[in-house]
Amino acid sequence: MERSSSFPIVKKKVGNVSTRRIVVTSGKGGVGKTTTTANLGAALAMRGHRVVLVDADIGLRNLDLVLGLEKRIVFDIVEVAEGRCQLRQALIKDKRFESLAILPAAQTREKEALTAEQFAGVIAGLDEFADFVLIDCPAGIETGFRNAVAGAKEALVVTTPEVSAIRDADRVIGKLLEVPMPISLIVNRLRPEMVRSGDMLAVEDVCEVLNATLVGVVPDDEEIIDTTNRGEPIVLDESNRLRTIYEKIARRLEGEDIPITSFEKPTFFKRLIGAITTG
Amino acid sequence: MHERQLEIEEAVVPAARGRAIVITSGKGGVGKTTTTANLGTALAMRGARVALVDADIGLRNLDIVLGLESRVKHHLLDVIEGGVTLEEALVPSKYNESLVLLAAAQHREKDEVPTEAMTALIERLRERFDYVLVDCPAGIEHGFRNAIAGAQEAIVVCTPEVSAVRDVDRVIGLLGNRFKPQLIVNRLRPQLVKRGKMLSVEDVNAILRLPLLGVIADEPEIIITTNKGEPLALRRDGATGAAYHAMAAKIAGEDVEAPMVEVRESFFGRLGAFFGGKA
Repeated sequence: MERSSSFPIVKKKVGNVSTRRIVVTSGKGGVGKTTTTANLGAALAMRGHRVVLVDADIGLRNLDLVLGLEKRIVFDIVEVAEGRCQLRQALIKDKRFESLAILPAAQTREKEALTAEQFAGVIAGLDEFADFVLIDCPAGIETGFRNAVAGAKEALVVTTPEVSAIRDADRVIGKLLEVPMPISLIVNRLRPEMVRSGDMLAVEDVCEVLNATLVGVVPDDEEIIDTTNRGEPIVLDESNRLRTIYEKIARRLEGEDIPITSFEKPTFFKRLIGAITTG
Repeated sequence: MHERQLEIEEAVVPAARGRAIVITSGKGGVGKTTTTANLGTALAMRGARVALVDADIGLRNLDIVLGLESRVKHHLLDVIEGGVTLEEALVPSKYNESLVLLAAAQHREKDEVPTEAMTALIERLRERFDYVLVDCPAGIEHGFRNAIAGAQEAIVVCTPEVSAVRDVDRVIGLLGNRFKPQLIVNRLRPQLVKRGKMLSVEDVNAILRLPLLGVIADEPEIIITTNKGEPLALRRDGATGAAYHAMAAKIAGEDVEAPMVEVRESFFGRLGAFFGGKA
């Protein structure tokens, strides 16, 4: 098969401990897990890492659509787990990037089709293909969530600055801390003008509530809807500011210490507190 | 004597039961909870007795959207497990005396609710209320199956995004013929549709092919009112509030047009057309 042979297979020792297995999760749906997975994965691949993105949303898959790969799906994660194909055969290489592939979810099966052990087993098999494995978690905290988390060693929680999203993220972080695993946080879809007018929570407010390390703030961008519909991750657009933002998040995940750009002007009150505490 | 009394009661209680309608979507974050709160508010403002049921056990949010989070004492599982009566668990709205909330349990799991118990609970609510709106969790797992179990009708909420359309299409398939599903297209941005950067209502419904209940525009006001816990439908004057009231009238059986969002031409759009652009 052309598809599988074109995938760069670097034979690594079995049990590659350096592969990062990260679950992208949120509790609440529609906050941007899939978009984050696609763009962050693409940004990591553009930086030379071998990346596999796993769609854990069995029955409601969308990662393939967001990357425009839906017509190239032959096998899926359930078929891999059931031994009906090789893991390598199920990987779909995204030719726009050097080293990005996805492992699609099954669309006509249930989340219960896989046990947590089966799921984790498939993910562990990806170590030989990838430096980064990003697992796109389904919404909610049911079986699909538990499976996705079972495959990961660390978590990236995505939230929007809305009370309901933050409450759900807090609940999810509570569950992740029980595992436990390191937790990073992305605040997605910030509208700075709404923060300034007092109609949206500021990043500081979100971080105060949630017990996680902030690795990025992504502003709301209307281009996202269109690029997502067309299956072209926004990081491919050199003129879009989100490209730089995702690239910086990728570098922070690599461990680089890059300050987070503030999209907010500090309020008088916050500056006052700052002056007192630093003085 | 006792038997006789029962007979009399049966004669007095009208045979007609309320309508249980599940608000669902498959994909998360498309506006199920906001829709439930606003349709419930609009129906109650018409004088109907309305119960809103949060079926998102573990990730509840309907209480926040209604501004009732600090008034919730008991939840759905308390009632099912017999700890409290239904009356004790129903939280009256701050704004309308004929609207009540039955909150979800926040620290429990969805699989703790037996489907038969959920169906029986909805039946009990139908005896007392004209409308029982069930806010379904995202996904198609146990929580989804429970939420649809007691309902006779469904309203599916879809945003004009390829991924949401795919998820909704899957949910329509799972619902089958039983629920007479109607469609709400939510978060439409007319300017983006105009510029060909967003699916139109026609695009969405060319795939879903459902009776259209109405269309709601993407307005920052929705985020603001949701964060404040004051459903937008409390006011009839704004375009969005009026749209919810028109949908409520349609649900009640009035012969009204489905509210649409006017796709206005922007100034730049017209300018572009004037110069022969592709606006």
